[in-house]
Amino acid sequence: MSARQTWVWLAAFALHCTLIIAVALHDLSSSLLLGNDHSPGWIRTSLGRIRTVAAATSGKNLAESNPLRQAAFTYMDCSGIEAGYSYFAPSVPPNGKLSFTIRYPDGRTEEDLPPVGGAAAGYRIATLLDRLQNIHYERLREAILQTLAAAAGREHPGAETIRASFALAQLPSIAEYRAGRRVSYRPLYAYDFRFSSRATPRHGK
Amino acid sequence: MPGRGPRLRTFLFPPDSGHWLSLLRIGLGLQVMLYTWSLRADWDYLFGLNGHGLVNRTLNEAILSAQSHLVPRLGWCIAAGRNLGLSEAQTLSLVWWSLLGAGLLLLLGLGARAAAIAAWFLYLSSAKSGTLFAYGVDNFTVIGLFYLAIAPFPDPWSLDRRIRKKALQSPERLGFHRRILQLHLCLIYFFGGLAKSTGPDWWNGNSLWLALTRPPFDLISPQLLIHFAPLLTAGGICVWLLEMSYPVLIWPVRTRRIWLGGILLLHLSIGLTMGLYLFAFVMVVLNLAAFAPEIFLGWEKAVRARAKRSDSSPGQAADSEELE
Repeated sequence: MSARQTWVWLAAFALHCTLIIAVALHDLSSSLLLGNDHSPGWIRTSLGRIRTVAAATSGKNLAESNPLRQAAFTYMDCSGIEAGYSYFAPSVPPNGKLSFTIRYPDGRTEEDLPPVGGAAAGYRIATLLDRLQNIHYERLREAILQTLAAAAGREHPGAETIRASFALAQLPSIAEYRAGRRVSYRPLYAYDFRFSSRATPRHGK
Repeated sequence: MPGRGPRLRTFLFPPDSGHWLSLLRIGLGLQVMLYTWSLRADWDYLFGLNGHGLVNRTLNEAILSAQSHLVPRLGWCIAAGRNLGLSEAQTLSLVWWSLLGAGLLLLLGLGARAAAIAAWFLYLSSAKSGTLFAYGVDNFTVIGLFYLAIAPFPDPWSLDRRIRKKALQSPERLGFHRRILQLHLCLIYFFGGLAKSTGPDWWNGNSLWLALTRPPFDLISPQLLIHFAPLLTAGGICVWLLEMSYPVLIWPVRTRRIWLGGILLLHLSIGLTMGLYLFAFVMVVLNLAAFAPEIFLGWEKAVRARAKRSDSSPGQAADSEELE
């Protein structure tokens, strides 16, 4: 390798590693700040500073239309380094559960779950449901649930309305399980879909 | 400081025979084929438009566009197909077959560069067009395919090398690309382990318990799992200790075998007990490619001899193989 090639590769390597570390630090500090209200102030301040610096390094602080941000995000998405590595950390998040209540014109009702063909797609649906609990923009949440309800509606062609109910699982810890507690679900929200009209939210968060 | 520059260069550009690249290519070829095959029943359902799809693809791609307009997506393929007179279903089917074909060509090492770029582009497009239901396996597969797409092909075991007699690239460049993969894995495990170590549930076994009883990963019944509760505490601590110490103890020849074995066992356990087979497979492939060639191909002796001869950085000594 020529000296010039070496320098080009080194520069690319430095940029690549910087972005990996920035994204990982941003993810780590965000996870630690979330629901960590009891930590000493200096820890929270330090984590906040780390997050700010990491966000600035990876271009997150720039305006969405900024070419530098677009370039950084494109590169990170294309190289698979756009996400951090704190899977199931610092704690395992609760899983979401989506169920449908299908109502027919004659008053009959049926219960169903999002339909999938194979296990691999099942894991992807589970990921989508986990993600749904963190989507606070109501119109986006509604749009996602509407398409899921429409998919369920295709499995039940005569349905008049479909209620999509989203709940969070409350899994018992080891001690709670020993004491007899089992998994329960905390309803978060529900939407009624009449396919010719917009959804009607039934419960706010 | 004098001497640091050349040492850094030697660390980052160690001569390498390229067998790691063969392992990465074969493993990711298999991974791409398994991914494609596993979604054969749901491909249209996951990536079709609202008429017959699960989540409107345009919704996924709109979310993606909020980040960047330049990231590959299936919408581009479908628009190109429309110009050629193909319907959406036909283009999606063509993408599925192309991805399967690219995986097969990678496995064989035939036209490896083109196959790697095609596999990366198509896999990334499908992962990004399903961004709402993409998870860890997609990130790690894209990482691997990205490194493969820019890797110095051909590799020693490829048909490109064996049949078409293509010459190998410079050993330093082969070593440099391997070094990037190694360092990336170190960062992945370090940050993963650090994040886990801050959670109290990773110290008392609850996190392992919750991970194993959480739908859809609850392959083992809680009634059975509760009998192994004391092991869960030790297991939880071992997981983050193993991950956090990986960047240090994966380099020395003496501890590499143990740490690599531990991390492979961790991923195999995740695959078998949580049903995350594709995730487990891609992590095993990345680890084997980054750190295993010497161990599994019988070059360990040569590496140790080299390590004794050199008292420079441990990474340099541990990774240099006997060149062909």
